[in-house]
Amino acid sequence: MQLDFSSKETWLHRINPSLKLFVLIMLCIIVLLVHNLLFMMNFTVIVLILFLCFTGQPTKRILLLFIPFFVVFLSTSSSLIFFGQGNTTWFKWGLIHITEESFFRGLLVGFRALLFAILGLTFALTTRPVYLFYSLMQQVKLNPKYAYSFMAALRLIPIMLEEFQTIQNAMRVRGVVRQTGIRSVFLKMKAYSIPMLSGSIRRAHRIAVAMEAKRFSDTRNRTYYYEIGFSKYDIVFILYFVTLLLAGYYGAIKGV
Amino acid sequence: MTKGLKLTDILVTIVIAIAFGIVYILWGSVYYALKPIGLHADQFMYGMWFIAANVAFFIIRKPGVALLAEIAAASGEFLLGSPWGLTVLLYGVVQGLFAELVFMAFKYKRFHISVAILSAIAACLGSVLMDFAYGEIGDLVAWNLTLFMIARFLGSILFAGVCAYYLVKVLEATGVTNLVRPASSKDYAELDQK
Amino acid sequence: MERIAHVEKLRLKFPGDTSLLFKDLSSTFYKGEKVLLLGPSGCGKSTLLQVLSGLIPHSIEVPMKAEELVSPTSWGYVFQDPDSQFCMPFVDEEIAFVLENINVPKQQMIDRIHHHLQQVGLHLPDIHTSIQTLSGGMKQRLAIASILALKPDVLFLDEPTAMLDPKGTKEIWNVLKEVGQEKTVIIVEHKIDHVLEFIERIILFNEAGQIIADGPKEKILSTYKNEMREQGIWFPGVWEEYLDTTPLLRSRKPFEKKEKVLEVQNFKGFRQKEEKILVDDLQAYSGEWIVIKGENGAGKSTLLHAFMQFIKTTGHCELVGIAIKKVKKQTDFMTFVFQNPEFQFVANSVYEEIAYSLKVDKVDSREIEIKVEELLEWFQLVDHWDKHPYQLSMGQKRRLSVAASIVKEQKLILLDEPTFGQDSKNTFALLEWIEELRLKGTTIIMITHDEQIINNFATRIWTIEAGKVISDEIQSMNMKTELVSV
Ligand SMILES: Nc1ncnc2c1ncn2[C@@H]1O[C@H](COP(=O)(O)OP(=O)(O)OP(=O)(O)O)[C@@H](O)[C@H]1O
Ligand SMILES: Nc1ncnc2c1ncn2[C@@H]1O[C@H](COP(=O)(O)OP(=O)(O)OP(=O)(O)O)[C@@H](O)[C@H]1O
Ligand SMILES: [Mg+2]
Ligand SMILES: [Mg+2]
Repeated sequence: MQLDFSSKETWLHRINPSLKLFVLIMLCIIVLLVHNLLFMMNFTVIVLILFLCFTGQPTKRILLLFIPFFVVFLSTSSSLIFFGQGNTTWFKWGLIHITEESFFRGLLVGFRALLFAILGLTFALTTRPVYLFYSLMQQVKLNPKYAYSFMAALRLIPIMLEEFQTIQNAMRVRGVVRQTGIRSVFLKMKAYSIPMLSGSIRRAHRIAVAMEAKRFSDTRNRTYYYEIGFSKYDIVFILYFVTLLLAGYYGAIKGV
Repeated sequence: MTKGLKLTDILVTIVIAIAFGIVYILWGSVYYALKPIGLHADQFMYGMWFIAANVAFFIIRKPGVALLAEIAAASGEFLLGSPWGLTVLLYGVVQGLFAELVFMAFKYKRFHISVAILSAIAACLGSVLMDFAYGEIGDLVAWNLTLFMIARFLGSILFAGVCAYYLVKVLEATGVTNLVRPASSKDYAELDQK
Repeated sequence: MERIAHVEKLRLKFPGDTSLLFKDLSSTFYKGEKVLLLGPSGCGKSTLLQVLSGLIPHSIEVPMKAEELVSPTSWGYVFQDPDSQFCMPFVDEEIAFVLENINVPKQQMIDRIHHHLQQVGLHLPDIHTSIQTLSGGMKQRLAIASILALKPDVLFLDEPTAMLDPKGTKEIWNVLKEVGQEKTVIIVEHKIDHVLEFIERIILFNEAGQIIADGPKEKILSTYKNEMREQGIWFPGVWEEYLDTTPLLRSRKPFEKKEKVLEVQNFKGFRQKEEKILVDDLQAYSGEWIVIKGENGAGKSTLLHAFMQFIKTTGHCELVGIAIKKVKKQTDFMTFVFQNPEFQFVANSVYEEIAYSLKVDKVDSREIEIKVEELLEWFQLVDHWDKHPYQLSMGQKRRLSVAASIVKEQKLILLDEPTFGQDSKNTFALLEWIEELRLKGTTIIMITHDEQIINNFATRIWTIEAGKVISDEIQSMNMKTELVSV
């Protein structure tokens, strides 16, 4: 979500958000069905190209965003690699038992998680939530009640974060001394979570009332400020995956 | 099933869920911090990811809320760019559905702590099923898998069951729950005074 | 005449309250009427407006019943609180949301958005501006713009200008008068100067939520003066009466420079790394009552936030002779009342809210009790002591936020529009309490748009324009002579 991740617009931004979401979910299902490690690696490269070159983010931020990917990869693969079942033992030390089968299983699962992560982040970085929900209302006929609730809730996120500041200020005005250190983090969590949650609920309630006062109803035939349709980029997007995935699959079978 | 939800219910549920969505993302780092300890200590923390369904349901007490909350929390997490990406979205649906089924079994009329614990266990079960389909934890050796299960279920009961229940109790003290729950018939009766 | 809204024997009670807010209240509104609801703070005006529009019970459930209840079909509602009536992140999207609701074709939307923003005088360089970054007054204008987009037959206005500067207030009322010409307009407003020529009928409430008078405005204003005085309503001439009868003001000693409490030089405040306020050189001495004035969005609140160190600041700032960043516990010396009262509530009941600071300081519980009760009494909150702060009416919230902040009687008190949305009785009570503190040597720095307060209470005036303090004048003390001529 582009809260403060300002970025250049690329062709990925211009793809119809519903279509983008649909394609990504299809890709995920394909990923779940893949058991060929080579194909999985080709797949990862294909998606990685999109992420690295076309999210419109500055290189520095891309590299920064890459860190959690490694964590995801390592954490998912490691437990299977170390503790998985298998016959061909490569290494054994105490409880740790690495076998050939478990090693490849681990890598496969690791790549799978990595792919999910890259796909998800690519989507998040190139889609403005407001457009996504407008598109979902128009193309998928999502009930406006849900769509606008989501949009209103997402609007509240920066406000909630600001609320944290507000509560802190309020407490300071009342003479609660600011503390530092680990203990204070815990105390803060306790002191802030309840007011933040109850504040958010009150705010949500009021916004719902204000929305109804603005004649919001859940009839589906409404006009839209953002009319979101399809464009040539959608075709490019689909073709990109179809051709490259076929090529990747072919390559994997041939052992590239 | 969710036909009965008013705009207020939906918006409040989604806001609660998205607030937890943020917590979920932050929780990810706690989870990974425990990962290197090994032996599935991290699994104990997993239960936190089911808390939204229970909190939202115990606040609003209506059918469909638990499912909606878990989906919304996952979408929030997804849209904010969590590294777990789309995985959470799929998991969210299943976990929410399992929690919802428990509330449905009680006809949405029981709000005891035991119901909270049961739904936490159900959501946990959902997540384990997903793990079998997706993470192939079935390939873990038996003793390791057992440890994994125990840690995850215990964590779920603690975080999503007990913690969620008491969180709502504290919220009730602030009076905010009155906003979203129907007024009591006693209040209506008092309109006829004098 | 066609009936447009009607209640018959309305009974309403908030959950948990013991007594009814309305007991068998009946009233009828006719098409094209311009009606003003007048009454003391907390008498139930906002609540009644919500019932008339149908928001209660359709969107907000409150136990109520009525023998007959007629709500209009096409209406717009401007809420008292500007902060929580938006559901979209950007200005254009917010108005577009309304236009979508009434099925305006997309091609017309941009023009309509510009038109409505123009109408309320909200001039933005780019309509795709984040609502988050607007000042309080700008938000209120946006709220009105989005209501105008509905093109409603009936307008419910709940103090739409409470947060606006005098110029803005005048502009907004001009707009509302123009667009409201053909419509039915039901208004709740404490400050009636601008509304008076527009409305035809006044409904007068008392503290108990009963209608004590209802009729053409001339008749009400001439025959019910005593009742209005008693209920603390801002009828024309109330200030003059007050100044004539209050000894406190006459005995004001001329101000003499004593202890320096606050000093700033080349002081800047930043929001999101942007410089939002700049002060060259200012001092505040003990016993001063400084008023900050300036247009909406000029940076008044930002200046106080900078003093409180809520935002990033640079430059020289000294509190009681110590660099402010070195002061260990600032709140022993200074306190602050937020523009939005809800921003400062930290406790779960009115009583606890006022007691909070004292409890943090571990003051003796008996002493707390005495102090809190005195404040509850003075600020007319006794009946509501156990409510949650959020359940109060706007004026009550405002008073609570002031009471809770000044309970410790620090040397320096910063107040951000403490009198908005207040009836006259409570306004005077509040001003007197503050004046009392000032006479004891407290320094008051207060943002207000109220000319009367500026003329009659301030000892010094700071004017802010476009993020810069442009003037610092000492107010002459012998205003008594001026006042006679008012
Ligand atoms: N949600 C609530 N729960 C309990 N009491 C409430 C609630 N909302 C309002 N009240 C009480 O009902 C009374 C009327 O409130 P209302 O907001 O209608 O007053 P008002 O006339 O608009 O006052 P003001 O001029 O200060 O805005 C107040 O005493 C307030 O404390
Ligand atoms: N949280 C914020 N983030 C960014 N910009 C802000 C924020 N709050 C205010 N601003 C901007 O800072 C400027 C000064 O705002 P400020 O709230 O200080 O105005 P003000 O003089 O108090 O106005 P009002 O009379 O409407 O309260 C405005 O241009 C406003 O858009
Ligand atoms: Mg009111
Ligand atoms: Mg301000």
